[in-house]
Amino acid sequence: MSIKNNAFGVLQRVGRSFMLPIALLPVAGLLLGVGSSFTNPTTLETYRLTNIIYEGGFLYTLLDIMSKTGSVVFDNLALLFAMGVAIGMAKKEKEVAALSGAIAYLVMNAAISTLISAKGGVEAMAVNSTTTSLGITTLQMGVFGGIITGLGVAALHNRFYKIQLPQVLSFFGGTRFVPIISSIVFLAVGVLMFYIWPVVQGWIASLGNLVLASGYAGTWIYGIIERALIPFGLHHVFYMPFWQTELGGAMMIDGVMVQGAQNIFFAELASKATEQFSVSATRFMSGKFPFMIFGLPAAAYAMYRAAKPEKRKVVGGLLLSAALTAMLTGITEPIEFTFLFVAPVMYIVHCILAGLSYMLMHIFNVGVGMTFSGGVIDLTLFGILQGNEKTNWLWVVIIGLIYAVIYYVVFSFMIKKFNFKTPGREDDDEETKLYTRADYNRKKDGSGKGVAKDTASAMILSGLGGRSNISDIDCCATRLRVTVKDEKKVNDGLLKQSGASGVIRKGKGIQVVYGPQVSVVKSRLEDYMEHNGDDDMTVLAEDLDVKGEQNRGSTGSFTMYSPIKGQIVRLEDVPDEAFASGILGKGAAVRPYDGKVYSPCDGVIANVFETGHAVNIVSDEGREILIHVGLDTVKLEGKFFRSHVENGDKVKKGDPLLSFDKAGIEKEGYDTVTPVVVLGCDDDCTVILESKGKVEPGERIFEIR
Amino acid sequence: MKTFEYKIKDKVGIHARPAGMLAKEAKNFKSEIIIEKDGKSVNAERLMQIMGMGIKCGDVITVTVDGEDEEEATKSIEKFFCDNL
Repeated sequence: MSIKNNAFGVLQRVGRSFMLPIALLPVAGLLLGVGSSFTNPTTLETYRLTNIIYEGGFLYTLLDIMSKTGSVVFDNLALLFAMGVAIGMAKKEKEVAALSGAIAYLVMNAAISTLISAKGGVEAMAVNSTTTSLGITTLQMGVFGGIITGLGVAALHNRFYKIQLPQVLSFFGGTRFVPIISSIVFLAVGVLMFYIWPVVQGWIASLGNLVLASGYAGTWIYGIIERALIPFGLHHVFYMPFWQTELGGAMMIDGVMVQGAQNIFFAELASKATEQFSVSATRFMSGKFPFMIFGLPAAAYAMYRAAKPEKRKVVGGLLLSAALTAMLTGITEPIEFTFLFVAPVMYIVHCILAGLSYMLMHIFNVGVGMTFSGGVIDLTLFGILQGNEKTNWLWVVIIGLIYAVIYYVVFSFMIKKFNFKTPGREDDDEETKLYTRADYNRKKDGSGKGVAKDTASAMILSGLGGRSNISDIDCCATRLRVTVKDEKKVNDGLLKQSGASGVIRKGKGIQVVYGPQVSVVKSRLEDYMEHNGDDDMTVLAEDLDVKGEQNRGSTGSFTMYSPIKGQIVRLEDVPDEAFASGILGKGAAVRPYDGKVYSPCDGVIANVFETGHAVNIVSDEGREILIHVGLDTVKLEGKFFRSHVENGDKVKKGDPLLSFDKAGIEKEGYDTVTPVVVLGCDDDCTVILESKGKVEPGERIFEIR
Repeated sequence: MKTFEYKIKDKVGIHARPAGMLAKEAKNFKSEIIIEKDGKSVNAERLMQIMGMGIKCGDVITVTVDGEDEEEATKSIEKFFCDNL
């Protein structure tokens, strides 16, 4: 897979991880939009609703609750994204990632907050550059703050959730380590952000001057920038000065000096002397209407039409509600986030079109203002009801209809042309990669690429009677606890071959004993089940079944490579009856030159002896291999030996397995000759010894036929 | 089906060599011979699994023999343990 495809795959996952929080937004948006419009004092006074809706009254309180509950979601969007993205991007143990995301977000903001007060408090910071998030005074970073937290935490999580710490600290190992490392890292990120982010905010604010200096083009640039900054939460820094300060204009209305575009509009709305709204002010607002009411819903329709027919029903619900939210309330994040990450190019096009919309409204003298965004509610209140003479609102509809067509055509074209994975177009096999027979065979030949293979899990799964036979998997300290549908389908032999030391049956409850590494076994098994189809499982199971039989009276040939640098010795010449007689199996021995043992094959560590003097590996071909360093060295009880692997570890040929102190062992009077034996190979096996005497690790030592 | 318990006396427990010998012994019989310790159970013919049990000196194991020649097998296996472990 090329880097580009890889990055694309990651972006897709990011996009998908957004869906959980996004699904909430339409509802929150409607509550906020309706609630805030009808509790806005200006709106109420203008339409003389103060008799029905007044502060303290039933309707007002109800609307206020709607507004506040909607807005609490938007106010904490960053936290939702910190958790949601962490959940979406974490490979396993997602609940831990969610907790870590929340913690990291709090830690980051607390670090920023402390620095803000240390440097003179909010007053010392630039205007509009700070906000309060979860009660913490911090930098205004919008969802961007949550997204970097979610992505960072997920990366840390995927890297560390299986970490094994030294014995003393083992309580803090595994998933428990993730929140710990996340908070440490995001403490540092918070400190960094405090210094970096205000610089970025400074650049954005200075863009405002450019807008003012360039007329219609300036309006266009304003629109593009405003849209482009939304994902970064920087749009407030950018547009607020226009809406609220003299950057957006200053005007004398009814004898009062009013500053800022939005203030001017509302002053004119309240003034009886207004004949037409000042477009010099509304040019920073009216542009939202055409693309929010018409453009984006058309884009949503394009995405719906482009979805696979079988998925339309599912994505239809999401897209329809997102489109309605944008239309009614002008809250566009639900739609925008559905394509922002899977198709950033489409977002760029959207920004340009949005910018043009602002410019067109400016050119056609449209004077419709808004409370906070450009939905039908605001258009009705501040455009239609004001009359076309005052606002030229008809142009919103005319331009809007054209925009609907443009958005539909452009989005449809781009989705199909570039095969963007907008909702309902995801390739199933990308999520759940099917394990095809071809892949399997390729891997067996040693030339396979890109297909993760997990023989142990495959064995476990088929030993349990296949995925369809499993109704529940759990684990305790040492056992995999599985509830199966039909206990007769469970194959003890296959399970034991997978590295289990025992199988206990209690009706449909099957306990497979793996020892303390069982949580790793369980994680891998779940991974495997997620990424492999069931049909092909059976194929794999059949193959393994055959191998299980073959192991005792093997017919297939198998090449063994040396785990150690040394001199090849015939097994018969090893001065230990158990090995020389072939009781344990056939093979050869190596008289080592140094004290390093490497894996002779790709496989799974079935058993490292506690004393570290021997190790069992199940090769990917299903062969059981014993590497036994020295003779009678079990009596050293671990002295001179060190193991680098644990039961259940997956190893590649050449991975270090054990280290030993050759001189020390020999000084104690033990022979270090190391038998390498294929277990279960009896008289049916013929060993063909490599003629070369000295071998390096990884060189052939014998072949079995 | 016949069962007996045995307490391991060999100082280093069931390591590679005795496991090999046990497996060889077990293969002489048609009966299925199961070794059980602390709830883990393995077939005595499965070398790697026996080694994986990590049976140590002083551990008590339960041996279950099931099959047509279980009488004879039980006697031999019991003798094997006494002689070697």
